[in-house]
Amino acid sequence: MKKENLVKFYQTYKLYIFPAAVALSSIFLILFAIYPQTAKLISNQKEAGSLISKSDFLETKVLALESLDAEDLSTKVGFALNALPSEKDFSNILGLLQQLAGQTGFSISSISLSGSTSKLSNIESYEVKMEMNGTKVLLPVFINELENSTRLMKIKKIDVSSGQFSQVVDVSLIVQVLYSSLPQTFGTTDSSLPELSQKDEELLATMARVVGETPISPDTAIAPRGKSNPFE
Amino acid sequence: MKIDINLLPPEIRIQQLKRTRFYQIQTIGVTVILVMFFLSSLTVALRILQNQNIKNYQIKLASAQQKVSDLKSTQVSLFVLKNRLTVINQYAGVSSKQSAMYTLIDKLIPPAVIVNLVGVDQRGETILSLSAPDYESLDALINNLTLKESNEGKIKKVSIESLNRGKDNFYRISLKVQP
Repeated sequence: MKKENLVKFYQTYKLYIFPAAVALSSIFLILFAIYPQTAKLISNQKEAGSLISKSDFLETKVLALESLDAEDLSTKVGFALNALPSEKDFSNILGLLQQLAGQTGFSISSISLSGSTSKLSNIESYEVKMEMNGTKVLLPVFINELENSTRLMKIKKIDVSSGQFSQVVDVSLIVQVLYSSLPQTFGTTDSSLPELSQKDEELLATMARVVGETPISPDTAIAPRGKSNPFE
Repeated sequence: MKIDINLLPPEIRIQQLKRTRFYQIQTIGVTVILVMFFLSSLTVALRILQNQNIKNYQIKLASAQQKVSDLKSTQVSLFVLKNRLTVINQYAGVSSKQSAMYTLIDKLIPPAVIVNLVGVDQRGETILSLSAPDYESLDALINNLTLKESNEGKIKKVSIESLNRGKDNFYRISLKVQP
């Protein structure tokens, strides 16, 4: 009886019931299947795109890193750290100053190292006070050699005195020896690699040439000074 | 001339019309439902395919990240090198004010003039104590220090602190030179 009523009701209103059922089903499918899946598809496409680009970037980075000669890079780092160490290098400086003075015929009478540190913009420095004597004409050569040495140094104060007709001068210098602590971060996996510019390459070539020309021999650094027989 | 004669009762005609209309609606409805099912299946299939691709990309990325981690020491060396070179480039080959001033003054002092004392302080200010054997060399000294052509425009001010002439006919002069 009830079923018959329902059939009769459907037969009477099927022109409205069928389209309504189709519309409801379509809305249900759109709301719970098509729309969420399409939205997820679009957002996943973006994610896939970023994964591809990240992966490509890392593969390029790997190729770039693999193409570098680790030994050559280590040598270059050595040159750079020799020119600008990460901390105070008193012993190296003493040897280098003695070497430079020796090359230009100057005789060092005293060297004192200052423990205090001054900080410029991105670099720190300590002072070395040296007193020496030598030929006047060679002093500009010494100054030039010192400031263009592979180890970064700058002259802070110069005092030169000489006798009336003497070519020998007494020189008192305050030299600022520069150093800089190492960076705190060395890049993450995702960070791009720094590129060495033409200027960097030229600087490295200069440092390599200078180091090749004047190897820091231990003899120079610890050469005995003064008279061979002090009782003569 | 064509004449249509329909002898069916109007109830049956209305019923036929309704049935035809319902068939049309039914066809459209079934088509819509089929299209909806097709779209649903398509999006689900695409999602499954996309998920597989994403998994592959993630594996590829993880492998690349591992390779970069293995080469970490090379990366660190490169960063250190670049950091050092950037700082060195700022200072290398650049003469300090003091040494530039000393070199300039050394060049400007005539050979006949005897240098007793040269002092260059932190600001580049230079104190000179000199002895000139004659007036000509003293004049040449002052000219060299003060003329823009000879001092390369690097000397702003020259002050004579003292000037005297000794028994030996030497002019003794103390100067202060400001860059």
